[in-house]
Amino acid sequence: MSSIHFPIYSLIILLAAAVAIPIMRKNFDGFMKTFIIAALVGAWLFSLGSLINVFNHGPHVYNFGSWTETIGVQLMIDEFSAIMAFVILTIAGLIVVYSIRDMEHEIPLQQFGSYYILVYILLFCMVGITYTNDLFNMYVFMEILSLTSCGIISIKRKKENFLASFRYLMLNTIGSLSVLLGIALLYMVTGHLNMGEVGKVIAEVWQSYPINILVSLGFMITGLSIKAALFPLHIWLPDAHSTAPTPSSALLSGLVVKVYIFCAAKILFRMIGQDIVIALDVPTYITYFAALSMIMGSIFAIGQKDIKRLLAYSSVAQIGYIFLGLGLATAQGFSAALFHIISHALMKTGLFLSAGAIIYNKGKRDIRELDGIGYEMPITMGVFTISVLGMIGIPGINGFMSKIYLSFAVLAADKPFFLFVILASSFLNAIYYLPIVIAAFLKESKERKNIMVLDAIPKSMIFPMVVIGVSCVIMGLFPQLVMNAIEQVAPTFLTLN
Amino acid sequence: MSILKSIIEHINYVASAILFVIGLYTVLTHSNLLKKVIGINIIETSIFLFFVSVGYVTGGRAPIVEASGNHVYVNPLPSALILTGIVVAVSITAYALSLIIKLYEAYGTLDMDEIMEARSGQTNE
Amino acid sequence: MYQYKTSEVKVTSDGILFNSTIIITLLAFILGLLGIIGYSTSFLEESSVIATFAREIVNFQSILLWIIGLPLLAAALSLYIDSKWSRGKNLVTIIGTCITYLIIVGLYPQVLEGDVHYELAKVLGTGLNFQLNIISYFLLVMTGILWLMTVIYASVYMQQEDNQKKFNFWLNVTFSSILGTILANDFFTMFLFFEMMTISSYFLVVHKTSKESISAGNVYIFMGIGGGLCVLLAMILTKVYTGVTGFMPAAYELSQLSGEKYIIAVLFLIGFGMKAGMLPFHIWLPKTYVVTVTPVNVISSGVMIKIGAYGLVRVFSTLFTPSIDAVQGYQQSLWYISRNIGAVMIWLGIITMLVGVFMALQQGNIKKMLAYHSISQMGYIIMGIGVATYLGYKGAMGFVGSFYHIFNHTLFKSLLFMVAGVVYLRTKEIDMYKLGGLWRKMPFTAALCLIAALGITGMPLFNGFASKSILHHAIDEAYVYGHYSFKYAEVIFTIASAGTVCSFIKLFGFVFLKKPNEIQKDIKGDHLLMCFAMSGLALLIIIIGIAPNFILNNFLIPAAQGLNFDAEFIERYINNMDFFHINELMKALKVYLLGGVLFIIGVKYDLFHIKLPTWLNIEKTLFRPFYRGIESLHNGVLNKYDLSLVKYDVVIYAYMLCMVLYVLLQHTSL
Repeated sequence: MSSIHFPIYSLIILLAAAVAIPIMRKNFDGFMKTFIIAALVGAWLFSLGSLINVFNHGPHVYNFGSWTETIGVQLMIDEFSAIMAFVILTIAGLIVVYSIRDMEHEIPLQQFGSYYILVYILLFCMVGITYTNDLFNMYVFMEILSLTSCGIISIKRKKENFLASFRYLMLNTIGSLSVLLGIALLYMVTGHLNMGEVGKVIAEVWQSYPINILVSLGFMITGLSIKAALFPLHIWLPDAHSTAPTPSSALLSGLVVKVYIFCAAKILFRMIGQDIVIALDVPTYITYFAALSMIMGSIFAIGQKDIKRLLAYSSVAQIGYIFLGLGLATAQGFSAALFHIISHALMKTGLFLSAGAIIYNKGKRDIRELDGIGYEMPITMGVFTISVLGMIGIPGINGFMSKIYLSFAVLAADKPFFLFVILASSFLNAIYYLPIVIAAFLKESKERKNIMVLDAIPKSMIFPMVVIGVSCVIMGLFPQLVMNAIEQVAPTFLTLN
Repeated sequence: MSILKSIIEHINYVASAILFVIGLYTVLTHSNLLKKVIGINIIETSIFLFFVSVGYVTGGRAPIVEASGNHVYVNPLPSALILTGIVVAVSITAYALSLIIKLYEAYGTLDMDEIMEARSGQTNE
Repeated sequence: MYQYKTSEVKVTSDGILFNSTIIITLLAFILGLLGIIGYSTSFLEESSVIATFAREIVNFQSILLWIIGLPLLAAALSLYIDSKWSRGKNLVTIIGTCITYLIIVGLYPQVLEGDVHYELAKVLGTGLNFQLNIISYFLLVMTGILWLMTVIYASVYMQQEDNQKKFNFWLNVTFSSILGTILANDFFTMFLFFEMMTISSYFLVVHKTSKESISAGNVYIFMGIGGGLCVLLAMILTKVYTGVTGFMPAAYELSQLSGEKYIIAVLFLIGFGMKAGMLPFHIWLPKTYVVTVTPVNVISSGVMIKIGAYGLVRVFSTLFTPSIDAVQGYQQSLWYISRNIGAVMIWLGIITMLVGVFMALQQGNIKKMLAYHSISQMGYIIMGIGVATYLGYKGAMGFVGSFYHIFNHTLFKSLLFMVAGVVYLRTKEIDMYKLGGLWRKMPFTAALCLIAALGITGMPLFNGFASKSILHHAIDEAYVYGHYSFKYAEVIFTIASAGTVCSFIKLFGFVFLKKPNEIQKDIKGDHLLMCFAMSGLALLIIIIGIAPNFILNNFLIPAAQGLNFDAEFIERYINNMDFFHINELMKALKVYLLGGVLFIIGVKYDLFHIKLPTWLNIEKTLFRPFYRGIESLHNGVLNKYDLSLVKYDVVIYAYMLCMVLYVLLQHTSL
């Protein structure tokens, strides 16, 4: 088994699982559960293998069917894609394990199969976008991704879900079409669809066809900003992420949104190139919108009463952080952004999973009703508290380290204004997260006395939460484990032209 | 005169831009859900038009290999890509239409404004 | 009037194991103190058995980590034991604190030889750095002493509250985090333990979980986190602009910056000042002190607000001073940064002093009065640190005074709070206007209160006299060597001290001396164990009062010599200071007379119930508009727009598209 093909094996396993589910038996029993988890574990192992491979042997490209890059589709397996695919599959694995029991109260049992088909195609597309080096391939994956992510929202047959899903679909489609228009314009100029080739040609012909390239860049950035929920274009996010079933919210908020940021990073830095992008002042505008995102996302979150809507707005704010790191266009900023992608994925998943566990157990979504719930569900609220402390920026949890790295990157790029924005946003985070934790642990609930018992939720739901909580703390105390790997990514990414 | 000439030379780009704007305008101004879907279809059509027309080579023939020597062929790649694009567009339209059916069953109206009013009346913000 | 628990006080009789543990602990405490005294006066030979034994034990490489880790272990262990044996958790806490205290005491020989360093690499990215020099050692000893007394006190006091398991756990965690903050050598290490301290003390503050506790706790934790973020911002700015990551002299690098150094200084001042109760960020103190249980009051005013002052000292005495080889004398130009900041700090300290005393005079609730006195005394300390910063090279007097006052204030304020707790335990009443004549029933407690009151007001032969004299000298020097406006500062200093005297005459008179009310006819007397704990502190007050030079020579002067102060100045003015000189005694007498006069005037014209105009209430003018701003922002504006904005999604896309294309196309000559 040659290790070059490991990424392909992950992709194939995911797709095959998605296709095999409807063929298998109708009812969702133990065999199906084992099969689903086994498929995901298999894909995860292959991504781990490719990660080890990349760190031992260095990056390489993989041409599909041995067609060269001018004709065929190419995958670029470098440190960036290997690390990100591994992270995506790990977190998705935890969410899938959680969802096997959690979906019982959201959708009827006959539809579990359909749900997992959608989830597996979603994972297939995400891993595909991370690996791919071809523009149109990326576009196709993006489209399938938008369809399946709308699918996992509307699989719960309630009217808010349909509305949220419809709006998400419309905006996503407009975004994808903008990206397609951008691809078309670039194809017009360069005649290639492979990112590396396009990058090379643009570096040469930049002065001759400036209008085409600029218009294409404008369309693509706007389209991707809709999908990645940068501030004014984030409007679909609260509805979509709050009405969806919990594992879907966790997948969408933690992973799907980030994948579009990968696309934006690849387009900006691999294709157009760091020098041209900086000459156009694009990063500056991205940082302004990112700062706006950070503040407005938190301000919108302060007044929310539904816990999942609050978490969705908080996602908008955190995505602002990532765009800030991206918009600095330096290696340090890019590493900080990547670190925050990983740590936010962990923290937000932890938050959504604990919120989901509370909804599963008590059916309560309103934060005003959560008094004293820390005694009834201590492990759940423990994970929630760890993630909240990370969001606020208490040392020891990975959120603090990502803020520190981002602050250093901001100051190294000589823009101290954003430092105040980062810390103001942390304080705003404290304003709306702390009351939940305080109410959960300190207030008296009206229904029962505050005696601590173990959570009454299934073990397959507790296990992912505990893993996420522990890894947040480990990543917070020993961030070098991750940062050393990430720092190898940034230089190659930003000079890969 | 030269403006008219350049418009005619680049008629495909102009047409695609006009279609894009028409489509976007439809999505923006009409509050009926079906019309929004139609608007998105118009946008998609404009982009497909643009992309396919990019591949045109002046004086080229259809890209089918014949026995008799080399000729200038039109670029086949955009057509192939757009086939994929059309498939995607169709699936999105199908999904959107099924969502509209469900929305109509749930809210009783196809008008976005009325749905939003019904929704903001019922949420507990 | 806050509702306190009115059920029967269930102070059970304790078992033999428990009582004997407490007695052994107290003996260990006294032995530890004797050990320090003996070693420093060379009574205990350097090579004697006990000294070498102590050296062997503490010559352990990672001893600093053990100091921090032991209370955490005790916390975990107490949780575990509580399920087996209910009294066990108190025992574990007491033993854990006692062992930590003994280790701290045993480190004395090593600290005298030189600094102790320890580094825990790889944690938190850059590793954790700990160090132990005389300054931190002094605070460690103070914390250890206080915590030991508090733990013994709390084991009895908390029997009337519920949920002792949580309390013990968080008490231990707070102890560990305070030790970590003191021992930290690096910015981020200190920040880690600082935040840990905020969070764990928050749980102590809201121990009662009543509605008032939670709203006071909200103020506490939001101000705590806000202060922490200011400190974090200042640390990040310092690291990036000067490359300094620890508490090292950096005035040269700082002088290269233009406005940023003042931003850094202001941020540090706000951040640590919030913790120390400096005006105008002091509002959490009175709110919090009223709703917490007494042991939390003791440790909070005894140790935690001192951490704020400690942070101020470490930042302003090291970061803003030039390094040793660059110092040529008082006129060194690099001191100017220090001088500007010092002036601000002196005035802030003076205002804090005055406002604290003034508000304290208006209170009837004993705890609230003591809280305002804490603010006022912290004003003294901040003023001292301000003088040290302002005078720079010659600032040793201010530094020594403030540190001495930190130690003394811990002792007498803790004793006062403990007395208030005992009074509450027996009478269920915390309002001093409703109490009276308790000296008959609780004579020992009354005597302890008298000792503490004399200490805080500065009676000669009690410890407050020494530190207030030094601080008085410090503000005099600021006037002599600095700006003439500090003459007024000195006048306010005297007035504040007189106000303190007046307030404590009021306290002692109303609570213990007045004619008793009807209700307090049948209360029990002193509680023996708690009196043991309190008498330890009283003993120290008297000992230090009788021999004030002991601490000066053995702790404070070496500490001042470790920093960048003029050695000759220290030698001439501070070494072997004569405290019982007639000038000092006259100053104290003046203060007492003035205080007595104030009290008589106050009683006669009923000045103790003044209602201030509402615009002076800092909370209303400064913070309430801030709250209301945020609330109205999201209640009125945003919620209205939240849903209606959803309609405009594609419109926003169209606008963004046009804007982006327009901006980008500027770059070509279109």
